Amino acid sequence: MLRRDFLSSCLGTGLSTALPLGLLPGALRAEAAPLKLRELYNKDKSFSGIALGLEGKPLTVEGFMAPPLKADSTFFVLTKMPMSVCPFCETEADWPADILAIYTRRTFRTVSYSRKIEVSGLLELGPFRDPDTGFLSRVRLTGAHFDIA
Amino acid sequence: MFNALWHSLPLWAQDGAIALALLAPALLQAPLILRGYRLGPLLRGLLRRHAGLSLVFILLIATSVAIGAAITAQERALRQGSARAADKFDLIVAAPGSEITAMLAAVYLQPSALPLIDGETFAEIAATEQVALAAPIAFGDSWQGAPIVGSTAEFVTHLAETLAEGRLFESTEEAVVGAGVPLEIGARFTPAHGHGVADAAEAHDVAYEVVGRMPRTGSPWDKALIVPVEAVWGVHGLADGHGPDWDGTLGPPFDPSRFPGTPAVLIRASSLWANYALQRAFTTERTMAFFPGNVLSRLHAIMGDLRQILSVVALLTQVLVTAAVLAGLMMLTRLLARRLALLRALGAPRRFIFALTWSFAGSLILAGTALGLLLGLIAARILSGMITARTDVLVTAHLGWPELHLVAGFVSLTLSLALIPAALTIRRPVIADLRL
Amino acid sequence: MPRTPPPLRLRDLAVTSPGGRALLTLPKLAIAPGTATVIRGPSGAGKSTLLMALAGLIRPARGEIRWGETDLAALPEPAIARFRRETLGFVFQDHMLFEELSAAENASLAALYAPKAARAGLAARSEALLTRLGLGARGARRVDSFSGGERQRIAVARALATDPPILLADEPTASLDRANADRLVADLMSLARDGGKTVIAVSHDPALIAAADRVLHIEDGALRPESARV
Repeated sequence: MLRRDFLSSCLGTGLSTALPLGLLPGALRAEAAPLKLRELYNKDKSFSGIALGLEGKPLTVEGFMAPPLKADSTFFVLTKMPMSVCPFCETEADWPADILAIYTRRTFRTVSYSRKIEVSGLLELGPFRDPDTGFLSRVRLTGAHFDIA
Repeated sequence: MFNALWHSLPLWAQDGAIALALLAPALLQAPLILRGYRLGPLLRGLLRRHAGLSLVFILLIATSVAIGAAITAQERALRQGSARAADKFDLIVAAPGSEITAMLAAVYLQPSALPLIDGETFAEIAATEQVALAAPIAFGDSWQGAPIVGSTAEFVTHLAETLAEGRLFESTEEAVVGAGVPLEIGARFTPAHGHGVADAAEAHDVAYEVVGRMPRTGSPWDKALIVPVEAVWGVHGLADGHGPDWDGTLGPPFDPSRFPGTPAVLIRASSLWANYALQRAFTTERTMAFFPGNVLSRLHAIMGDLRQILSVVALLTQVLVTAAVLAGLMMLTRLLARRLALLRALGAPRRFIFALTWSFAGSLILAGTALGLLLGLIAARILSGMITARTDVLVTAHLGWPELHLVAGFVSLTLSLALIPAALTIRRPVIADLRL
Repeated sequence: MPRTPPPLRLRDLAVTSPGGRALLTLPKLAIAPGTATVIRGPSGAGKSTLLMALAGLIRPARGEIRWGETDLAALPEPAIARFRRETLGFVFQDHMLFEELSAAENASLAALYAPKAARAGLAARSEALLTRLGLGARGARRVDSFSGGERQRIAVARALATDPPILLADEPTASLDRANADRLVADLMSLARDGGKTVIAVSHDPALIAAADRVLHIEDGALRPESARV
């Protein structure tokens, strides 16, 4: 378990009893069963109804952390399959539909590409060019955090 | 459910909540112990009376806190600095070998002899559809110990975005220099072969003119002198990378058959996913492709592990020092015993005596901790300065939440430990102490 | 409003050393409120032991130490401390002041742990006492700038700052020269008499003995038949 999450669960009991339930944000959806990456797309690579319905809302997606392109950053790529597991079985054409750009709230520690993780964040659709890295993404989870599944 | 709430909090609120939780034992016990008493005059009196000893205790605590804070602040600074220095280097292709060596050479300009990538491979890379920029990074020569790197104007633009002054190089006798290079626009310099003390016999027979200067990047490139890659080849008597009818226009396209080679190629992909595709595409028998950021984050993970070990050691030191200080305090309470007994003989409540002893210890702990944070920051700044001076990677240490969390935990723990000598003092015999 | 001192009644009192040796045995003793009593006797006879027991600083092996209705021998520690700070004033042989504090701070020491409501009165009273003892102008000075006699007067001010009905003193003039001792006795007795306080002092000082209503002789841990006034 990551230290931050350990701390947060330690703090959990105290804070949750201190706040009336009515103040809880509508983030509870994020607690539902994690979404699979492919559920965000239709066959023709357009956004699925699920994706459109969840735009701007919190959700949890499961997948694998691609080796991060930048060190000490708040950005990584979530892939459907473990990266580097099989260099031959995926074609470039599959790529855009199989990855999701993740912007975390805090700089994170790299998780091995073979460990499944569950990422929670707000779903953003539409092209966005990261001013820091110059990377262009079509779909993102922002304000994200993740746990090893 | 709590998780959702927790993650919906702003980061400062999360960090603040953690700090408060760590500080809670101290914050809760202090009012219980101190409530209703005016300890100030006696406390000041005791501290003055035992100023020397108090100072020794404060310095001991400060040193141990400083070590702990400096380690975490320094590691973070190192991480951020090294990551920032590698920011512009998405994907590097080099001849197969050590990724770390290649990264140190191509990104951090730490000299090492690497095998070359030939013209056909370079042409193949440059022609790949998803490649937006493929620039040779031809290091090896130096000027007064500063690396001279051969590349293209596009690379300079990628690195510097806009030049701080001057213009890009337009001929093989021109150079663009980093912000930290002590050469004015218009100055000329002669490259030396390899790195090391400039040796007249080893010096090349050419001179470059500085025509542009890059803005400060906080990376070793601030010390670099970038020249056209054609010039580097020319200096070494190699082909110029272009066909016989070359009109002298620098940069790509290069003629694969007249391309002498480059130890590393920087690739900028046209899209995010392409980085991964290209990394796979150029992982062959002839080339390796890697993300410096990824190599770096693996190094950071090792550094983080080391830091954790060091932090545990530092934490143990802090606890040991505090235990030593508390043992010292117990001796000190013997020194104070007569005055404490007098207070009790006069009718002072036991909790007053308890509070006095505890706040005496607490004053030393708080003063030591505050001083320790300051010393830790200064130590980390000095260390950062040394690292920056040696590696040209801009490393700046600041105190952040991790240090505050460390200190909050330390204060809570030691203030709780200080309950022990306080409890022992009120068990001392009044009459016997009064006659000391 | 000065409080009326409670009468003292000792019964069947026995104080022993931690080793079990008898230090003091007192079958019966009563001291009337508002009187001045001097306890004398050879050193080691048990005078100080008696005084400490009266202050609740020594718990007797058996017997009663009754100040009015309060039996110190039966009270728990915190209640005894409370009794001491509310009802007793104490002057020691060696002034026992806090050298790093000022005269005024020493005199009003009890204000540091007194309830908030009592602090202002305490400070005012200690200031008035210092003035009456001739030290008012120098109240802000640190104790080390005062002579031995003056320090003992500061100690008297401290003992009386809470306006206790009972004043206990352990050889208060023993470390003073004659002139200072006389002045201290005069100050002490006039303050005590004015306030209608009970004074019990261990002393060999002829001036103090002369000023006392009653003198008790203690020898070998027991009270000798009372001599009348010397």
